Amino acid sequence: MASWIEKNRSILDFTLSSLLRRKGKNLSLLVVYTLVVFMLGSAMFLTQAMKREAALILKDAPEIVVQRLLGGRYDPIPVDYVKKIREIRGVISAGPRLWGYYYDPVAGANYTLMVPRNGAPAREKIIIGNGISRTRILYRGDIISFRGSDGIARNFTVEGEISPESELVSSDLILMAEADFRGLFGFPAALATDIVVTVRNPKELLTIAGKVAELLPDTRPIIRDQMVRTYDSVFDWRGGIVVVLLMMALLAFVIFAWEKASGLSADEKREIGVLKAIGWETSDVIAVKAYEGMLVSFFSFTIGLLAAYGHVFFFSAFLFVPALKGWSVLYPDFRITPFVDPYQVAVLFFLTVVPYTVATIVPSWRAAIIDPDSVMRS
Amino acid sequence: MIRLLNVRKGFNLGKSNEFIAVGGVTLAMEANRVTVLKGPSGSGKTTLLSLIGCMARPTSGRITLQNGLLGGRSFSGGKDTPEVEVTSLPERFLTEIRRRTFGFIFQQFNLVKGITVLENVMLPAYPLGEKHGVVMKRALALLEMFGLAERASARVEWLSGGEAQRVAIARALMNDPPVIIADEPTAHLDSKLSLEFMEIIARLKDEGRTAIIASHDPLVYNAPMVDRVIAVRDGLLDGDGQ
Amino acid sequence: MISGLFRKKKGRARISLRKSSLALTLAGIGVLLIGLMFSHAHLQRQADLPVIDTVARVVANLELTDLALFTEARYTRHPSQADLHSAFQDHPTALEHFPTGSIAGPPAGLRRRHGKLD
Repeated sequence: MASWIEKNRSILDFTLSSLLRRKGKNLSLLVVYTLVVFMLGSAMFLTQAMKREAALILKDAPEIVVQRLLGGRYDPIPVDYVKKIREIRGVISAGPRLWGYYYDPVAGANYTLMVPRNGAPAREKIIIGNGISRTRILYRGDIISFRGSDGIARNFTVEGEISPESELVSSDLILMAEADFRGLFGFPAALATDIVVTVRNPKELLTIAGKVAELLPDTRPIIRDQMVRTYDSVFDWRGGIVVVLLMMALLAFVIFAWEKASGLSADEKREIGVLKAIGWETSDVIAVKAYEGMLVSFFSFTIGLLAAYGHVFFFSAFLFVPALKGWSVLYPDFRITPFVDPYQVAVLFFLTVVPYTVATIVPSWRAAIIDPDSVMRS
Repeated sequence: MIRLLNVRKGFNLGKSNEFIAVGGVTLAMEANRVTVLKGPSGSGKTTLLSLIGCMARPTSGRITLQNGLLGGRSFSGGKDTPEVEVTSLPERFLTEIRRRTFGFIFQQFNLVKGITVLENVMLPAYPLGEKHGVVMKRALALLEMFGLAERASARVEWLSGGEAQRVAIARALMNDPPVIIADEPTAHLDSKLSLEFMEIIARLKDEGRTAIIASHDPLVYNAPMVDRVIAVRDGLLDGDGQ
Repeated sequence: MISGLFRKKKGRARISLRKSSLALTLAGIGVLLIGLMFSHAHLQRQADLPVIDTVARVVANLELTDLALFTEARYTRHPSQADLHSAFQDHPTALEHFPTGSIAGPPAGLRRRHGKLD
């Protein structure tokens, strides 16, 4: 056993000497591969962490939200429906919600205007999310003007800000009084944006939602579970073009490694012949190639993974912000809570190390089985 | 004693470019002697060397090695037979024998470029799994013996012809082989270095080793320490010479 | 093994570190760092729980349904509330034209028709 360890360490020594001979080339190989792993790892960490965070944050979202559909499209819902919903057995409460979007041409941003059912501000006063505060440089006491659907501008004074820690959910929110909201948008008193329902027994959510749909056929109830699962699929790292591109980069890299390994130069072939001639067996030569592949891929994986972790959780994935932000002007300033799924890390490890090592070994097989006397004959 | 019994070696048999390198050679070489295979290029002496050195198997015929030449390990299945027929051994054992019995010196030295002299010398020992410290010590001792201790960490590309020759010999001696096989060792050397080489061979003979050299260089086959010269031509022996 | 690292040569003390020792040590450090990464993640999560709680309370108070991440368009801002047709509001065959769509796929609920409530 000890001699097996010693033998493999010696072969490892030789592999390292061999790699160090072409320092520049092998170093750039390592750097590029590390970059690929870094990007993949970052995407993986970001999506996994966001998924978890969304699930945790939205765990107390409304149990059922009832929307009305007109012509297959989302339309304001009659406030009358609230009474009907309240009569369903199992429903504790139901109430209309008012919220909508406002496009601010000054900032070029979309805001979400909302009338909170508890603690709405007084008339002509608003409470704003941190993102808006930053973008429009608005603080308590400042005044901002919104243009209503009737073309008339209305002034609002900032009464306060929503807690900065909640930026991830409140960055673009503006809370205002109901009368102001209806006046600004011309929202009729008989209508609301949607209806929020709370039930007695959470296990009955689906049944009650079914009853709502039956009772009010032009509505579409959305239950809490679906809302959270939305974010599961939004942040699934297997989806998304970014990850597909990165997987292709990985594949390209493996193909490149294969190419490199198959095109052994005359020098390399000769060297293998010499090794065979001085007593190395085919398995020893294969071991050299295997260690080569394993070394490069292992260190690429380790450095790439650690860098990805730092990138996502210490630097808020700043390289991905342009893609995440898209065309939105308002982007919440938040630190992502680390969540690392060991299974995903293991998958990444195997994807990184195994194909690359195999791609290094298999094509070298041909050269490795050279007869030892070939070096004497040439 | 190394015996060859009607050994033949052919390449590409059955194809249009069939080539018989060695055609029926019967030979007995004594241990602790310097034997030279003399002949022009293409005579098959290189093939003979590779057959003797267990680098290749003959197409037909038998090769036997004296048990004492097997570098300390017994391959005869426990029986104390004086000779072992290597041609009937499986590949695994053949490699093992080659590693421990023979040390090869090639025409072009064939040192591995890009790594140090010391590492080159240590290479034959790597597959044997000995402790690194022990191997290193032995390698350094060998280099010392050839006056190359100072050049241990030099790249092989920086060596002069004579230094490279001595490194090649040191490497051949790494596993303390009883038999040294050299293929045209003086082909790229001047007279002075050629004579130095033969002196080293004499020293190895004094140590109790056997040397088999293939060469068409008169400096080699006319050297005083050579015990026997065998002429080879077109894959066959051309009578005995002394 | 430590004694094997140092070798005296002709009166000069020379530290010769085996390349494989260096590589294996670095690999070991790498594995260690990855282990540290996992523990850091765990510890940081514990430390962040109160913050997450704060946000969850804001969500409960204001009855919010979505994260305010993608404020480009309605259906990116409130993906959980989006209806079947909002993505194609301009034209039935319009393809995704917001960059966010390259990262965020359509919500699972939309890919099946309106969940099990039809």
